[in-house]
Amino acid sequence: MSNVEFWIRDFPSQTRQAIMEAVETARLAKVRRALRLFGQLAPELRGTQFKVELLSTYSLEPVLPTLELALSCLPCQAQLQLAPLNDIEGYVSGTTDRSSTEIPNARVVLWRVEEFAPEVLFPLSHAFPDRSPVDDAIQRMRRVVSLHKRHAPGMPLFLSTLALPQNMANPIFASQYSTGAFSAVGRVNQAIYELTSNEGGVHILDVCAWAASGGKNYTDPLLDFMARQPLSAQGQMAFGLFLARCLRPLIFPRAKVLALDLDDTLWGGVVGEDGVNGLQLGHDFPGNVHLRIQRELVELRNRGILLVLLSKNNEADARLAFDSLPEMLLKWDDFTVRQVDWNHKHENLRAAAHELGLGLDSFVFLDDSDYEREQMRQMIPEVRILNESGDPLQMLRALWETDAFDSLSITAEDRTRHADYSVRGARDAQAHGDDLESFLRSLGMEAAIEEIGPANMERVVSMLGKTNQFNLTTRRHSHAELQRLLESGCIALALRLRDKFGDQGIVAALLAVPVENGRTLEIDSFLVSCRALGRGVEDSLWADFVRRAIQKNATRLKASYIPTAKNSIVSELYDRLGLKRVTEDSFATTYALDPVAAAKWPSWIASKNGMYGK
Amino acid sequence: MESDDPLRRLLVDFFDLAENVPQEELTQRNIPAWDSLAMVQLIGELQGTFALDFDLSEIETLRSYDEIRDTLARKGVSLERQTGS
Repeated sequence: MSNVEFWIRDFPSQTRQAIMEAVETARLAKVRRALRLFGQLAPELRGTQFKVELLSTYSLEPVLPTLELALSCLPCQAQLQLAPLNDIEGYVSGTTDRSSTEIPNARVVLWRVEEFAPEVLFPLSHAFPDRSPVDDAIQRMRRVVSLHKRHAPGMPLFLSTLALPQNMANPIFASQYSTGAFSAVGRVNQAIYELTSNEGGVHILDVCAWAASGGKNYTDPLLDFMARQPLSAQGQMAFGLFLARCLRPLIFPRAKVLALDLDDTLWGGVVGEDGVNGLQLGHDFPGNVHLRIQRELVELRNRGILLVLLSKNNEADARLAFDSLPEMLLKWDDFTVRQVDWNHKHENLRAAAHELGLGLDSFVFLDDSDYEREQMRQMIPEVRILNESGDPLQMLRALWETDAFDSLSITAEDRTRHADYSVRGARDAQAHGDDLESFLRSLGMEAAIEEIGPANMERVVSMLGKTNQFNLTTRRHSHAELQRLLESGCIALALRLRDKFGDQGIVAALLAVPVENGRTLEIDSFLVSCRALGRGVEDSLWADFVRRAIQKNATRLKASYIPTAKNSIVSELYDRLGLKRVTEDSFATTYALDPVAAAKWPSWIASKNGMYGK
Repeated sequence: MESDDPLRRLLVDFFDLAENVPQEELTQRNIPAWDSLAMVQLIGELQGTFALDFDLSEIETLRSYDEIRDTLARKGVSLERQTGS
């Protein structure tokens, strides 16, 4: 299943077929038909409203229907707004006073060397004794970013890189000297990559890397000269899907777990039959394909994707291979959960999901066996099947091509997630035998309550997007929406936790909006990361929030619990915190606390700023 | 056999016209949606569909079904042969 087919998997088959026909032919009539069918879908299938601003040095007007269809596939209700052609700075600095509801979910800036720095293409025709056009281009990009941050803080910005010119004379010679066109474009692009590492909320739309995959086939010089629209029909559709994939992480969280098979996946051969010496893994063909699969998996693990081993084997055989194959890159302990036995894989996957406290739709499955993949598909349809073929190279290609693990950034929590979960496993095992409170005390937890601001916003937006279980309202605020809440005088708190195992980072957040002349505070969001469940951090955050509410002279709190398929764990949280039920129906239970009464900070968590005694 | 004509099919779909529209009405003058923006989109689509590049001088000869058919024929694309297959 391609990425697009996966995105639109819940659509009726007629709509799916029309979309795939449009994608494959890139014919505008088919694009329009697919858009019409999309518009007829039930709102819940069409997804969330998603507004994107496009600022460009070249004309995108002829391409708009194709871009709209590509984004609709995510799925979302895409609204595309085109800025006037090649007026990037003017547009970015003139858009300060929008009404709040009109803030776009993302802004995309597309530039190319032909308009942006045309001198770069003809270096020998331009003498630049003092300044290089490359430096001017870099300065201009930095200015656009700083204008954006001043006039639209919090709105995610996607900067395109410059595509290497495809249509130019003397491409061989142009590569022979360091001020040539290719080198110059590379230097500008390097500056763009560096902009994203320094600036939160700035992302890269790597048009340069994308264009390299299609080369000249993606360009149409005639349309470029006629209408300053450089993309061929094929290039337009490919670009639309590329843009959609880049924006998708703003709406959909990535998969959290890859569950995978062992024999004929991590190595060639079957350890129980061929013995360790009969397995193929190493630098020679075909063992090098399996080695490359392992390299990709190690990289995923280091990005915070949890690995789960699902293998039908005797555990002793599997362990022996891990311990004695010299080329193994993945270690036994790299798997957060290992289910090596003769049970059904779907049962083992359910058990792993339970153990990790994660939903089944957080899982992706990789297995060479057609039977195992088919059984998983039927028994747990929520699990995304990564590969369609058991051929090792096809499995590797599936890893290369999938968008399942796409994200726009990597947080400190991502880097240590595997270790965190392993530690949690140890804790759980320990908790079984002991009295819970003395176990919690033994963790030496210390919580710091921080106000949400630029320093921690990325993590909070990521939590808002991903947290399913301990989440009272499941409001997936974007960066821009959170920014707007902060500007509206909302109390916005995040809890950072340390324990004897180390810094756990930010694990909980609470947003409360003043309503009714500010005397009432309404809880907009209250969530705790699944990594920190069952430790009482919600009580710490609540106690500190209530203290601040009283300080601000709030007389009343309003809150609601909005049930989803996954958050029943918090269905009675507000009852436990002493709030009174006001209304109750299948959509929500609303609560009030009137007057606001102080709440107790849990005795087993130390307070970083010393405000609460042990 | 007219409905198998890939150029006719492309134009009818592109401008969302009735299936039975007479061939002589497939002209820029008769079709209000055939504006300059549509022209750019149509040229991109014709080049993609028939796998060819138009010369600059040919851009002025793409204003009706008949003109496009003749231009395609000059470039070696025979619609007759495709309809027959």
